[in-house]
Amino acid sequence: MVWTSLKPVEQEVLDSLLQSFSAGYPQYEFRQLFYPNEEARINFIISTLAGKGPDLIHGASDNVGPFTDLNLIQPLESHLDSLFLAGFLQKPFPANTWLKGHLYQIADRIGNHLCLVYNKDIIKEPPETMNELIELAKTLQGKTSGGKTIRYMLAWNYTEPYFAVPFIGGYGGWIVDDQLNPTLNTPATVKAARLIYDLAHTYGVTPRECDYEIANALFKDGLSVMIINGPWSWGTYLANGMNIGIARIPMIDETHLWPTPVVSPLGYSVNANLSGKKLEIVLELLKYLTSAGAQLAYTRVSGSIPSQKEAHRSPLVTDSELLRHAIDQMSIGKPMPVVTKMRWMWDAMRPGFQGVFSGELTPEEAAAFMQKKAVSLIEENL
Amino acid sequence: MYDNRLAYLYTMPAVLVMALFIVYPFIYNVVISFSNMNLSHFRNWDYVGFKNYLLVIFSDDFWYYLFKTILWTVLNLVAHVGIGVFLALLLHEDIKGKTFFRTLLILPWAVPQYITALTWRGMFNSEYGSINLLLGHFFGIQVPWLSTEWGAFTACLITNIWLGFPFMMIIALGGLQSIPANLYEAADIDGASRFQKFRNITLPLLKPVMVPAITLGVIWTFNNFNVIWLVSNGGEPSDKTHILVSWVYEAGLNYFRMGYAAAFSMIIFIILLMFSWRFIRHTRATESVY
Repeated sequence: MVWTSLKPVEQEVLDSLLQSFSAGYPQYEFRQLFYPNEEARINFIISTLAGKGPDLIHGASDNVGPFTDLNLIQPLESHLDSLFLAGFLQKPFPANTWLKGHLYQIADRIGNHLCLVYNKDIIKEPPETMNELIELAKTLQGKTSGGKTIRYMLAWNYTEPYFAVPFIGGYGGWIVDDQLNPTLNTPATVKAARLIYDLAHTYGVTPRECDYEIANALFKDGLSVMIINGPWSWGTYLANGMNIGIARIPMIDETHLWPTPVVSPLGYSVNANLSGKKLEIVLELLKYLTSAGAQLAYTRVSGSIPSQKEAHRSPLVTDSELLRHAIDQMSIGKPMPVVTKMRWMWDAMRPGFQGVFSGELTPEEAAAFMQKKAVSLIEENL
Repeated sequence: MYDNRLAYLYTMPAVLVMALFIVYPFIYNVVISFSNMNLSHFRNWDYVGFKNYLLVIFSDDFWYYLFKTILWTVLNLVAHVGIGVFLALLLHEDIKGKTFFRTLLILPWAVPQYITALTWRGMFNSEYGSINLLLGHFFGIQVPWLSTEWGAFTACLITNIWLGFPFMMIIALGGLQSIPANLYEAADIDGASRFQKFRNITLPLLKPVMVPAITLGVIWTFNNFNVIWLVSNGGEPSDKTHILVSWVYEAGLNYFRMGYAAAFSMIIFIILLMFSWRFIRHTRATESVY
């Protein structure tokens, strides 16, 4: 059993991969089960603690921190030969996830990062800076394109901290220091929150109320020119016949720095309850699902960036304009820390950011709140 | 005991199921409420005494969510009972299409709660939702329902009122039908007004039916996790749209603060136990009126 949070088009790829792998093991059944990210994480913890759970879980590398703290996944370095592991990318970030000297996740794609996605039927070139974006909005918003009136220049799920933190990097800050301690009460966080607030409330460039679904719908309906979204979404846009382009999130004019999306590989971890013959087969399946061929099957339908060097050199990647720009955006991203305390960081940031956008907190108050809450949650839970 | 062994045998399956699914989890919850069980200490937890209880009692979160929960419960119950009894009184009259209206008014109750909640969430969507489209069309206003604290609370409230009034309506209708008609005839002979009949006959005789329903309604609404969670998308914005139970869920199953969440849930249990006991005693709901 493999648990995933893959999109429907990718689930079809996984189904066909499992089917083709099962030909070599007719006495076994290979199935996948979909859960949204959060539910996959929670259900995996609960079921594996109870001695069950799926054999493989697919997800972002930040799962590795809590899963290893709870001994839910097993180290893989002794089960996989060095030749196989050498086939994975090391730059700009290591594809596979090691923690405390052990290998816990084998990636089948890298990046999983936010990019600027724009509708090429409305604009040929995306804005390079935030000021350009604001100026462009003045000329485009209210105009008709493809029979639809453009309502917003940009829509994205800015109330979710994962989607807001690139701008902290754009103002020269980051959410953690080198020791992975929270650094949220900084001028960079304040300025980032203020910019996002102003984009909605001062410039009217983004909707005043926007979650993931609204942003996606606005972009797909042609009511928003651009969206900030990750590789998981591109396949749907392409399947809908949209003419999209990928670019870096526009530069912050004040600092001349690019916003820095969080970069994390996605891959498979093996349930700690597995052993014996079943473990052997699951490891074979793991190798198969992370092979260059399997990775390119996903790239073909969803534009995911492969983690194998061999797949990375494929024309499917090198000749793709979308992927070239996505890789360019990834090169200036920040790697996602895989420690458990990141969990508390996100949980502390969410109410803080939302407080700014709902008008309950000033950016200064929000930054102080987020830092205090992050520190208190970490202290309480460690 | 020996003479009643067959009766004990019959009740045994129910006792076993209760022990397995209610008593054991309850005791386990009490135990972990005194522990530091969390994401970092899931298997190797230690006893921490009353630390979690003190953390709950002295946190602003608890008092804030308690206030929100009481407000949520009172507003819902007033609306549920008010609308329910009003509609029951209408349906109790000889009106045309009575069966049709009765079926129609039960529909919100018949639809699964999560479907209704998600449908209302869609309707409150600021860009595409039908409510804002109608408000914009007729009044030229757009309400940020789901992105502000009280907007989201109001959205949850409206959804739960929609879901809850049919239950009270059915209970009240049953109560009305059981009131002997000769009491109203006697009142007519005495020259009682419509209001006097309602106040002196209908209300007192509805009480034994409505009080247990209201008690149940309070407990259900106080613990109504689904509507709050689904309409506000897990307490958004800023974790301000929680009631006590949704916060316990977030603390326990999202933040994995198991010890804290267990202590929190014990406090909720004590609040509800005290309320139910006092309410039933005060209203003497279990006493016969005839």
